[in-house]
Amino acid sequence: MRLAPWRPTAKRAALGLLLAALLGTSALEWAAGRAEKGLARQQAERQGAIAVRALADLVGAAGGTGEAVRGLAARFAATGLDSIRVIAFEGLSLEASTHPADTGDKAAPRRLAREEKDLYDQGQRLRAAVETNRQEGVARKEELEVTRLDSALALAAPVEIGGEIAGAVLARAPAEKPPRARSWVQALLLALVPVLLFLPLAWALGDRKWLSTAVAALLLVASLVWLGQRTLERLGEARRSSENEIAARVASVAELARGAAGELSLAGLPADPASWDGDRYRRPRGLVATDGTVDAAALAADLAAGRSRSLRYGTLAGALGLGLLAFVALGAAGRVGRTLKRHREAYLYTLPALLGMLFLVYFPFFYGITLSFTGATLYNEDKPLVEKWVGFENYQDILGDFSVVKTTEEGRSPNYENFYWTLGFTVVWTLTNVTWGVSIGLILALVLNTKGLFARPIYRVLLVLPWAVPNYITALVWKGMFHQQLGVVNQIVQMFGGTPISWFEQPFTSFLAIFATNGWLSFPFMMVISLGALQSIPGELYEAARVDGATKWQQFKAITLPSLKPALVPAIILSVIWTFNMFNIPYLTSAGEPAHATEILVTQAYKVAFEKYQHGYAAAYAVIIFLILLAYGTWQNRVTRATESIG
Amino acid sequence: MKPAKPILILAFAALFGPVAAFAQKELVVWHAYRGGEKAAFEKVVAAWNAANPNVKVTTLAVPYDAYADKISAAVPRGKGPDVFIYAQDRLGGWIEAGNTIEPLDFFLDDATKGRFLPSTLQAMTYRGTIWGLPLNYKVLTLIYNKKLLTKPPATSGELVATAKKLTDPAAGRFGLVYWYSDFYVHSGLMNAFGGGAFDQDRQPTVNLPANVKSIELVLKWLNQDKFLPAEPSTALITALFNSGKAAMVWNGPWFLGEIAKDVDYGLALLPRIDEAGGTPMKPWATIEGAYIAAPSKNKDAAYDFIKFLTDTPQARVLALDGRQSPSNKAVYDDAAVKSDWILTHFRKQFEVAVPMPNIPEMSMFWSPATTAMNAIVKGSATPAAALSEAQDKVKKDVERLRKGSGG
Amino acid sequence: MSDSKRKGESPHALMHVLLVIAVLYSSYPILWVITVAFSGQQSLSFVDLPADPSLLDRLRAIIPWPSALSLANFRDVLGDQPFGLWLLNSVLVAAATMVLGVFLACTAAYAFSRFRFPGRRAGLMSFLVSQMFPGVLTLVPLYIIIVKWLGLGSTRTGLVLVYVTTAIPFCVWMLKGYFDTIPRELEESALIDGASPWMIFFRIVLPLAKPAVAVTALFSFMTGWNEFILAATFMDSEAMYTAPVGLKFFVGGFSQQWGYFAAGAIIVALPIVLLFLFLQKFLISGLTAGSVKG
Repeated sequence: MRLAPWRPTAKRAALGLLLAALLGTSALEWAAGRAEKGLARQQAERQGAIAVRALADLVGAAGGTGEAVRGLAARFAATGLDSIRVIAFEGLSLEASTHPADTGDKAAPRRLAREEKDLYDQGQRLRAAVETNRQEGVARKEELEVTRLDSALALAAPVEIGGEIAGAVLARAPAEKPPRARSWVQALLLALVPVLLFLPLAWALGDRKWLSTAVAALLLVASLVWLGQRTLERLGEARRSSENEIAARVASVAELARGAAGELSLAGLPADPASWDGDRYRRPRGLVATDGTVDAAALAADLAAGRSRSLRYGTLAGALGLGLLAFVALGAAGRVGRTLKRHREAYLYTLPALLGMLFLVYFPFFYGITLSFTGATLYNEDKPLVEKWVGFENYQDILGDFSVVKTTEEGRSPNYENFYWTLGFTVVWTLTNVTWGVSIGLILALVLNTKGLFARPIYRVLLVLPWAVPNYITALVWKGMFHQQLGVVNQIVQMFGGTPISWFEQPFTSFLAIFATNGWLSFPFMMVISLGALQSIPGELYEAARVDGATKWQQFKAITLPSLKPALVPAIILSVIWTFNMFNIPYLTSAGEPAHATEILVTQAYKVAFEKYQHGYAAAYAVIIFLILLAYGTWQNRVTRATESIG
Repeated sequence: MKPAKPILILAFAALFGPVAAFAQKELVVWHAYRGGEKAAFEKVVAAWNAANPNVKVTTLAVPYDAYADKISAAVPRGKGPDVFIYAQDRLGGWIEAGNTIEPLDFFLDDATKGRFLPSTLQAMTYRGTIWGLPLNYKVLTLIYNKKLLTKPPATSGELVATAKKLTDPAAGRFGLVYWYSDFYVHSGLMNAFGGGAFDQDRQPTVNLPANVKSIELVLKWLNQDKFLPAEPSTALITALFNSGKAAMVWNGPWFLGEIAKDVDYGLALLPRIDEAGGTPMKPWATIEGAYIAAPSKNKDAAYDFIKFLTDTPQARVLALDGRQSPSNKAVYDDAAVKSDWILTHFRKQFEVAVPMPNIPEMSMFWSPATTAMNAIVKGSATPAAALSEAQDKVKKDVERLRKGSGG
Repeated sequence: MSDSKRKGESPHALMHVLLVIAVLYSSYPILWVITVAFSGQQSLSFVDLPADPSLLDRLRAIIPWPSALSLANFRDVLGDQPFGLWLLNSVLVAAATMVLGVFLACTAAYAFSRFRFPGRRAGLMSFLVSQMFPGVLTLVPLYIIIVKWLGLGSTRTGLVLVYVTTAIPFCVWMLKGYFDTIPRELEESALIDGASPWMIFFRIVLPLAKPAVAVTALFSFMTGWNEFILAATFMDSEAMYTAPVGLKFFVGGFSQQWGYFAAGAIIVALPIVLLFLFLQKFLISGLTAGSVKG
């Protein structure tokens, strides 16, 4: 019986291997397909751009207007560009056009019509882009615009005359041919290979779970590595042939340009043809040499960089596949299925609430996490996130800055804007506020819970008022109460013979002011919670305690506190989280004064996002806040066992 | 052309027209007005709707505190209005973010450009392109309590003399109250000395010697002449002026609506600054513009509407009913506007004002500058040291913003 | 009961002293808000002192009382804008948030309290975790979900959905804690009598958990009641605004009309106070002796 085939272990391992191989193979095939498509796109774009930029350079050399420009446009139709339009900003004019619509009374040169506003705006956008990049010394605005149409590319490049952008060349270039669809059957068959190899082995291995899983994993990795290698080689080959075609394009366009320049008696080529093969910021790619051949060394370096990127992706796909294999082969999948079925009632009860959370809370949350790994700012909002990826740089900048003390000409002082200072302050702020809120709230609830106390309902309502009134105004009333000359607080100080205090001048007094405000705001909530929780204590418990001769304090410790725990612990945890992220009070009352000393992390993050427009950096701040709170929540939960049932 | 043809076309239009020829377009316009301004704006919109039955304009008022975020969230996603009204301070940011505001150069003819006070048009210009039609401007001026003072000061020397006389800190009375720790309000002094926040190349210039000098003057007023209250804020200024405890304030036209009914106030030009060689104070002016949303489907109609909005008859309504100071030049020749002492005063004050820069980098300037200012007036740092620290901060933030990940 | 009889008068007097001090603390700033609202003016109050103030002058100065009483601010707030309509919108949104939030939280909390199932602890933690990410930075993704994907821009449903998910985590934790304190013996005996789980939940557990339900109801109502930024961002017609949005028109930007804002704030706070008055009786009607250990 020991060698009997198709033990459940072997079945599971085979199934896991099949699924993992399918996942890994299709991930690789998908990526390869994408890469091929990208390569074809890139080639079409570069070939179009070379012609458009050559034309723009020649138009600039020809002075931007006149017959020569029209002659150039007509000649460049031979490069495969169509619907060429040259516009000059001066007089909103269409200088040349090979667009089919621009014939007869619409033929160039003429003034642009109102429905052609977009052409002019595009030209102006390019001008602003060139000026911006020059002024800031960075490449952040596209100086060459490429828009994908149905079966063509619309390209636009600026026309430069004497350093000024005076117009633009717009044209359409053929888009790439859709690459041959990849065969999914082939991918499926490839995924089957390791499984077929595994089957006899599984039979031989018998009922050894770990061993058969390991063998399956080995087969999976081997097949994926082989497939990856093959794909990489194929892609490299495609890339080399693509570069050759681009180099040939540079040579042919240069040839045409030279001819046109001669015929129109322009003073030769205005620029090195190799520079026409540039990126969208018009920076030369450096892959084509001046003589129109491929620069082999540069291409090899570029390919190597691409290879290491692919390797990372491949590793990720492999890891996912291995995870899936282990999940199925070691039996976790089956267990999960059975669990779901057995506890379906519980899951059904919790599902609606969790589903809503998933959509509306966790999506923004993951969006934020993704953003935190990018250098997203206001200035690059239009770029895809991948291009803005900076890895852990934001985190390094925030967490790696230990300059808690700064030295100026006037000596050393705390650097209040440093992350660690703000963190320290936020922790103090949270601890004091929650302690205050809970103690006052609990005491008041205990007092209000006294049976037979006169006017209880009235007290209750009056004490809950701070919670009811919008805190936007009360925060500012409190700020007014702490005004140095005209605030109520200082009047009281003076009534008792003190001197007026400038509350927002020193970090400590400023803290006291916002503490008073927030403490006032937070105790009613705790009071209401405690009032509700106190009702769960059966009266007989006290009765029994009294019979045993326990004092009031003993009763409180032995009965009241433990009974309050189930309701109070979650309230305290949440209250810590809310206070840590309390925005309005520090923002409105002290506004961080003095010198950002009373800023908390969340107001700091807000300022980075909305005043400094650095969205990625702000998101990293937010993620750090989250991680700190997560650590706290986990710890608190372990100490209080709040997720456990007490009853 | 033969006369028969148009008739035929008309007949055709009558048959099939209701959908084709008179298809009603709808323009949605967002603004942040309330009260009288809103009523005047709606009156102007009603006039447009009466005159253009085929382009119906509807309006939405958004509270200011949510307005900018709402525009940033909605407009680039194609869910926003066709036209929105906002001051120039966010203009650069929205242009850089893209797909928010439509450039107007192509629409604008010289006659339309010539309709506006030149510096208001300058506020709508970013990187050489005009992005909006200026609607109105707001500028700081000197507002005084006529019961406490008859002749407002024309120079800083006179200001000090008058203000000192009217100050009694023990009783909470002050000669001059203004938000001196805020750089927007301080801009009048800063520009008088020839200072500024950014230079032509958009490099921060927070620590210019001129800026230092302008703050030293404030320090002198605060510590030697002692006619300014501590910890100024908008709430404090309103409270003091309304209770007759502030003789003069520097504030904008919005303040007039907060003055209590029993206070008799007058307006005067901001003083010339002796310490800056007699140059007048040149406060930053805020200019509200009407912009076309880039994703709008009715840009032509939208342009016609904002052109209508900034034309003289509409400017007159917005000025007289809405109490705005229009950017339209011709409206100030209108008899009713001419005889309005408040509108003519702000027009005169605007002569010396400079439009606040509309570059996004300005947003990085406020917080460090205000922190520096607070430290200086509290005496915890010297102007030179605090400003050079602020300069470093602004510089760092601006570099971070620009660096992003363009390359 | 017997407690108060035995203790006599003196501890009560002490309690009253304590409560009066607390009431002073809680209501003093609000008295200033009321003062501004009834002053007919637009400025926030600062103390108003004559030269060389005596102790009495100072005492007078710190007592919030308007120099002239006027209803002008209230009249303008209610007359100038469709504030009544906005209040109604707020009531609808907040009430829907309350009902939906409490319902979803009750079912989830009951499962967390009574059933033992894998993922229970992770589920509970996930509610907690959702509160940890700073909310000020999530406006844009929320806009994308609600307006762009779900097409719920300018609807009350969209707002309610967001508010409910904001309120649920607290409600779940609060109710779960309270359910834990309700003895299981009651349910077990009902189960033996043949009651269905739903009946047990509605007939036995829920009535016993009234105080906690009252707290969570108040909390979820407040969540929907006071929120401003999302309501202003999602709604594309003035008729759909909620009261806090209307309130914000008075301040922000250059102009700060605190008189209007204060009057509006009081109007906005009144329904909350009324709701609290109504919920009070549930708040103090918990487990009664005898009904538990039968």
